[in-house]
Amino acid sequence: MHIGDGLIPLGQTVIYWLIALVFIIKSLEWARKDLDEMKVPMLAALGAGIFAIQAMNIPIPWGTSGHMVGAALIAIILGSPFAAVLLLTLVLVVQGVMFADGGITVMGANIVNMGVVGGFVGFYSYNAMKNSIGITGASFAAGWLSIFIASLVCAVEMYFAGTFPLKEGLLLMGLYHAVIGVVGEGFITALALNRIMAVRPDVVSERSVPGAGVAA
Amino acid sequence: MSSKNNKNNKNIMIAGAVIAIIISVLAPFLASSNPDGLDMNLINLVGGGSEEHAEELIGEKMPIEYEPPMPDYSIEGMGKLGEVGAIVAGTLLMLGISFGLGKVLGKKQGT
Repeated sequence: MHIGDGLIPLGQTVIYWLIALVFIIKSLEWARKDLDEMKVPMLAALGAGIFAIQAMNIPIPWGTSGHMVGAALIAIILGSPFAAVLLLTLVLVVQGVMFADGGITVMGANIVNMGVVGGFVGFYSYNAMKNSIGITGASFAAGWLSIFIASLVCAVEMYFAGTFPLKEGLLLMGLYHAVIGVVGEGFITALALNRIMAVRPDVVSERSVPGAGVAA
Repeated sequence: MSSKNNKNNKNIMIAGAVIAIIISVLAPFLASSNPDGLDMNLINLVGGGSEEHAEELIGEKMPIEYEPPMPDYSIEGMGKLGEVGAIVAGTLLMLGISFGLGKVLGKKQGT
């Protein structure tokens, strides 16, 4: 759901940049407080892995395709939605500046949708469900919800931009991403979290282990 | 003990990098070239038959003309090999930036 340059009027892109900047600044504060030396290798592994997986578009029906965003997985493993904001910002900068994937003026909107909405929905929905349905179900559902809700926010932005009509935009963006959310986001989030929990449970944030309290 | 843990955590970065590079090499061959959900909406709701044409129809003027060096994850004239090269380059760049910024921005270890 990378928005390209030109799809949002410049005046509106400034608003999304301002919202994004607030969260980016908070994510830098998170890094200074919480990102200790033990977590940096995981941050780098997730940064490389999320970039690569975003280049792998999975075909879905209706002649369309989609890819994982990864915000929920980052937020769960590193134990904060701000970790997702930080990494998705870096991914979107590299994609926009080097590869023309997502625009430059609209980058703020892309950071808001994929980093902020994806990260916060993913983190809090996982934490709401992890004790009742376990990490596999909760991470699958959190991954699905994170991309589905982000796509709806994207549709609303495109409505404000005058690019999409509201009803059709919401319906189609929601429909496409509901499918991508199952194959791409939910499945891969649950699989990756499961594998990491099996091999190195110590590198997953203690906040994301069932039984732990939730604090951002 | 601390140095042992650090070494083990380096392994996480190496494992992550290996998985990411495998995905990067396979992506140009396995990834679907169908338009993504947003582009499909542009084609359906804005019209013009293609994503590029839809974007032209919207025609918002950009203040800057910027050409990224490897547009659409490709290197000009290098075909599939160029696509592999572009995605691997991006993956390694992300690995380096995330690690470097993580070190710089992260919590300083008290000794």
